[in-house]
Amino acid sequence: MTLAPSVLFHIGSFPVTNTLLTTIVVDVIIIALVIVFNKCLSLYPKGIQNFLEMVYEYFYNATKEVSSKVEIIYPWVITFFIFIVISNVLGQFPGFETIRFHAAGSGEEGVPLFRTATSDLNVTLAFAVISIIMCHFYSIKYTGVKSYIGRFLSLSPIFLFVGLLEFIGEFTKVISLSCRLFGNLFAGESVMGTISSMSIWGIPLPFFGVPIPFMMLELMVAVIQAIVFAMLTMAFMSIMVEKH
Amino acid sequence: MDIITNILNLFGLEGKLFIAQIINFAVLLIILKIFLYKPIAQILEERKAKIKQGLDDAENAKKALEEADSQKLSILKEAKVDADKILDNTKKSSEILKQKSSEDAKRQATEIVDNAKKQAQAEFDKASKQVGSMSVDLSKKIVSKILSEIFTEQDKTAILSKAVEKIEKGGYEKATN
Repeated sequence: MTLAPSVLFHIGSFPVTNTLLTTIVVDVIIIALVIVFNKCLSLYPKGIQNFLEMVYEYFYNATKEVSSKVEIIYPWVITFFIFIVISNVLGQFPGFETIRFHAAGSGEEGVPLFRTATSDLNVTLAFAVISIIMCHFYSIKYTGVKSYIGRFLSLSPIFLFVGLLEFIGEFTKVISLSCRLFGNLFAGESVMGTISSMSIWGIPLPFFGVPIPFMMLELMVAVIQAIVFAMLTMAFMSIMVEKH
Repeated sequence: MDIITNILNLFGLEGKLFIAQIINFAVLLIILKIFLYKPIAQILEERKAKIKQGLDDAENAKKALEEADSQKLSILKEAKVDADKILDNTKKSSEILKQKSSEDAKRQATEIVDNAKKQAQAEFDKASKQVGSMSVDLSKKIVSKILSEIFTEQDKTAILSKAVEKIEKGGYEKATN
């Protein structure tokens, strides 16, 4: 398994990778969920409506506890969570890594047709960049340019140094957000791939049910990482929208 | 610079894919905002209002029930007082009715007895008169038969008329006594 996603084919000069394909699958699942939700929307919730209301209320209330700008922040937080959790859990389904695609120059084995979207740094970095850019945008919008600049620049030498650290911190936020998610998911996929391909006395380990505990662990990681990303976004945004 | 390019290549970082993911996320956010978060917020608000209304209704119903209970108690009290009054009145009126009917009965009985007495007296008077007239006739016949042999016709008539007068007198006195 490579760090970079595998390119399946090109549309013009645009490379279609296996993680991009999975991203589209995740989009389709989310849109299907939304359609089903809107069809069975009722004052007395049941099934999928119950679950989505639970997710909504959990993040909405969590955001409300830490910030006064809850209406601005919560859509970002929940969207990150929904996309990441579905993408992560989807990676544990059969067919990921096992369904191969013979792309140009991929050799005899081919490349996986599907790969967890969040095990691609393009995806996690894009999410992290969106998260941090929106933090700064809302900071300027709700606290004003003066207060925003005051976070990083000060006449006092000590606060100037602190501001410098804050400035560097904004870049590290992007790196930490993106690399944490990418690292966890990529490592999980690698472990699952390794365990699944191992064998003892010529019998593959999956026959002994060895990957099951790892799958449980991966499911936990999938949910935890989604929550971590969403919560960190919430924390960063709630800090940035308050006056310095 | 080569190192950075190598790292970017190693992780498969590519501008087009990166921008595609940003656009994808933005579209998804808009879709979810319109078709998921908005309806959920609306339905939660609606449910909250309905629950509040339900709780208010329950509170009002409780108050109404308490009021109805107190009203019931006061009505029961009033009804008991009324019932006692009605019972007393009934007792009194039944007592009066009883007394009245007993007096009526006595009066009627006295009337009946008086009427019976009067009737009996009338019957007796009538019978006495009849007996008197019968005895006069009989005496006339007896006396006329006896005197026809002793006295003349003129004497007989005088004696007879005297005797008849006496008999009539005596019969009347007997009847009145």
